[in-house]
Amino acid sequence: DSTVGSPGDCKPCPCPGGSACAVVPKTKEVVCTSCPTGTTGKRCELCDDGFFGDPLGQNGAVRACRVCKCSDNIDPNAVGNCDRETGECLKCIYNTDGFFCDRCKEGFYGKPLATNPNDKCKSCSCSPYGTRDRQTSCAQVTGQCTCLPHVTNRDCSACELGFFNLQSGTGCERCNCNPIGSTN
Amino acid sequence: PRPGVYPLPPGTNLLFAQSGRIEFVPLEGYEMKKTNAKTVLHLPEKVVIGVAYDCVEKMVYWTDITSPSISKANLQGGEPIPVITSDLESPEGIAIDHLSRLVFWTDSMKNHIEVATLDGSQRRVLINSDLVNPRAIIVDPVNGNMYWADWNRDAPKIEMAAMDGTSRRVLVRDDLGLPNGLTYDPQSALLCWADAGTHMMECMNPVHGSRRKVLEGVQYPFGMTSYGKNIYYTDWTRDALLVVDRHAGKETDEFLPQKRTRLYGITLATAQCPSGQNYCAVN
Repeated sequence: DSTVGSPGDCKPCPCPGGSACAVVPKTKEVVCTSCPTGTTGKRCELCDDGFFGDPLGQNGAVRACRVCKCSDNIDPNAVGNCDRETGECLKCIYNTDGFFCDRCKEGFYGKPLATNPNDKCKSCSCSPYGTRDRQTSCAQVTGQCTCLPHVTNRDCSACELGFFNLQSGTGCERCNCNPIGSTN
Repeated sequence: PRPGVYPLPPGTNLLFAQSGRIEFVPLEGYEMKKTNAKTVLHLPEKVVIGVAYDCVEKMVYWTDITSPSISKANLQGGEPIPVITSDLESPEGIAIDHLSRLVFWTDSMKNHIEVATLDGSQRRVLINSDLVNPRAIIVDPVNGNMYWADWNRDAPKIEMAAMDGTSRRVLVRDDLGLPNGLTYDPQSALLCWADAGTHMMECMNPVHGSRRKVLEGVQYPFGMTSYGKNIYYTDWTRDALLVVDRHAGKETDEFLPQKRTRLYGITLATAQCPSGQNYCAVN
């Protein structure tokens, strides 16, 4: 407030490099208005959208703003792709998930870090008849669903040799063929 | 007024979002008075995506994706007022029906189009199917229509529906890439869009369906608004606000804000509301 008439009326802006600021009248809050490129926030303590870091080192060491690191599993046309401070990925695509979009989301399996999107994460598609508790999730890499007794295949869609009745939903039953009258 | 924050001058102004702030550029006729460009609102902790203007109460509305919310503020120097603060994930496009006093928005994570009154009450989901990356939304209150664009990379489209969500239909699905920007000029009844995938700006009459190119080689359009013959859009590659003369089919001016960072939504703030009435306003 320059109208009071004392020497301490005008204070330097608390902004990086003494850059410009403004005072919000109601709250008397000081807001930096010319933050260095890539930074924003009241004190230029935040990164722009699409970047993450801790440019003022408010939570430990100074981390310059870097572009979201999400394993190429975000879309550059999206907004809010990662947390501006921690870098946690918030908009994983190609059925990926995780802090860095570096694993397949629940119900999917494969190679989340593959370059071709078609090779990334595929649906588990576990057979509802052959899978324990009708689970829809499977092993991250192999895609193996958790099969009921004597059920086989990645997706638990078939009975083991010598077993039948997948449809029972409780596992496959032994064929009970007469060993003398059967060919195998 | 706030020091360093200027109330919106009378007349016609362009309002646009640049991450933690909403800026304005006054228009004199069709010309941007660039030297008078200022910040109207500092929102230092927010990432503002969409902006819309209510010509009746002279309020700006915006979507924020950091603490997902919709807020408004009086542009003569008021503080932000929250409108919608719950059940939002990534609110992006926003549009105001000044006649019926409603706010419409898209949410790209919930994949919804929703509506509420301007105080945030009577909220309702209008569209919740066949949306993947809905972004831009605009309304034509006089005719009771809304238009939106979905930049889904597998099947981008531009759609319309009545403002209650009924009579939904796809207007454009061919030769689209990333239709980020959308605008409707009620005078000419033209719907125009800017595409960051095809790098094209195009217009069509939503009734007759006639489609034509306005400009090729646009770089990375994001937000878009129109005023008479001019189209104003923000560009992520150029970090600029560009002016295109729709009739001449060429870029006529550019504004580079002092801060070199991405520009998001843009809207027109006019001193007077366009005349007109719709059935919702009287009934």
